[in-house]
Amino acid sequence: MLNISKIIIWDLWKNKAVIAYGILMLTIGWGVFAIEDQPEKAVLSLLRIILFVQPLVTLLFAGMYYYNSQEFILLLAAQPVRRNTLFFGVFAGLTAVFTLIFLLSIGLPVLLFSPNVEGLSLLFAGALLIFIFTALALLVSVYFADKARGLGFALLLWAFFAFVYDGLLLLFMYQLADYPIERPVLGLLFFNPVDVARIFVISKTEASALLGLSGAVFQDFFGAMKGTVISGCVLATWALVPLSLAYRKFNRKDL
Amino acid sequence: MIETFQLSKVYSRQEVLSGLNLRCEAGQSIALIGPNGAGKTTLSKIILGQVIASSGRVEVNGIDINRGPDYRRELGYMPQVSRFPVRMKTHQLFKLMRRLRPDVGEGEYDTELYEELEIDGMKNKALGALSGGMRQRVSAALAFYFNPRVLILDEPTAGLDPLANEVLKAKIRKCVREQRLVITTSHILNDLEEICNHVIYLLEGKVHFAGSIDELQERTGETRLNRMVVSLIKNKPARAQYQ
Repeated sequence: MLNISKIIIWDLWKNKAVIAYGILMLTIGWGVFAIEDQPEKAVLSLLRIILFVQPLVTLLFAGMYYYNSQEFILLLAAQPVRRNTLFFGVFAGLTAVFTLIFLLSIGLPVLLFSPNVEGLSLLFAGALLIFIFTALALLVSVYFADKARGLGFALLLWAFFAFVYDGLLLLFMYQLADYPIERPVLGLLFFNPVDVARIFVISKTEASALLGLSGAVFQDFFGAMKGTVISGCVLATWALVPLSLAYRKFNRKDL
Repeated sequence: MIETFQLSKVYSRQEVLSGLNLRCEAGQSIALIGPNGAGKTTLSKIILGQVIASSGRVEVNGIDINRGPDYRRELGYMPQVSRFPVRMKTHQLFKLMRRLRPDVGEGEYDTELYEELEIDGMKNKALGALSGGMRQRVSAALAFYFNPRVLILDEPTAGLDPLANEVLKAKIRKCVREQRLVITTSHILNDLEEICNHVIYLLEGKVHFAGSIDELQERTGETRLNRMVVSLIKNKPARAQYQ
């Protein structure tokens, strides 16, 4: 597995899109702290990046990379290598590169300028989101044989998690505002990893106005400590379920 | 060496292979032929574990291929079209493959094709910058590199220049003399005639003919492989007989 990951990391490292993305993230990560004088505000700006930009890039890039390296995967599959070695090698290589970019561009400045609970929870949520969206990207690519369809679906998935789901949830809460809907809303919240990550980080800051209705319900119901543990577990589940589904499909797939 | 039992493959309701029973032995050089869509590539991919059979099984040296990937140590594969990571250099590809094969020690590599196809001359070139024919040469050298007992070559001569073509054919003949098993898929019957001693003719996912070239010659009364194949296709009774 390490051999395969190494080769993928090495291949990605020379990829122009990865370099461009790395430079963009470095500029944003370090630039935000240079512009904002309050580290708290800077963390919130970075939160938007890890909730919207990073999932989009991860989904599309990981998906594209899988489609583009299909022939090479085929060549490796003809060697005495297990399918699971191959699959997890690709996954580990992709997440390693994304996580490294994330740590250099957002991790380092956050640890330098805002080394507190907010900062750490931002890093934790960001790293988990990389895992989640790489797993989702592989899941989509493994299921769709056609590249255009797969990437289109990945884009839809991102739009859904980034804003469509929130809109629907808000509509749902607004329409049924007269009923006790806290529990169903709480349940529905877990179906969107971006929301969970958002609540996970914002509940640590004093910007609770940004929690939104759903976040307030969450905070109110679980309280700070329990909420952190539960949202952390939900995020971990979000990483593991798509990954295991993608792996199962890949194992029985005609390459 | 390779045996298939009632091997079938269905792609979205279309049966590509139906109930194939084949037996390939060491020392045979098999021409796997048949019209487009007859299931030749699917069969080789199932043997390689790239495509999963819908039913039936394949044994390599008596071991079911679903038992694990170790049987692929015996297999060398040259695909129809080879695409490698574009930024990787040729020598890096060989280095990677050597790392994936710790079972083959230093100095045990078969560098004959590597030398004769002049891979060393392009070792610092990125694989993405190689022409189709050069990639085929890399792919050929790689297929033989780890001394496999079985070689599966899918359209190996397509895209090779005449010189490289002759080098490859000489190597295949040598492998057959060394009692290895070579399975070659191709539409260029003149090439196959020079390197093969057996024929498997697939038609619509079934074995239409399987046997030695001598048997086929006897059956059809022809001397050239392309004429034999033509008479095999035209000869309806033969089809009924060998299905």
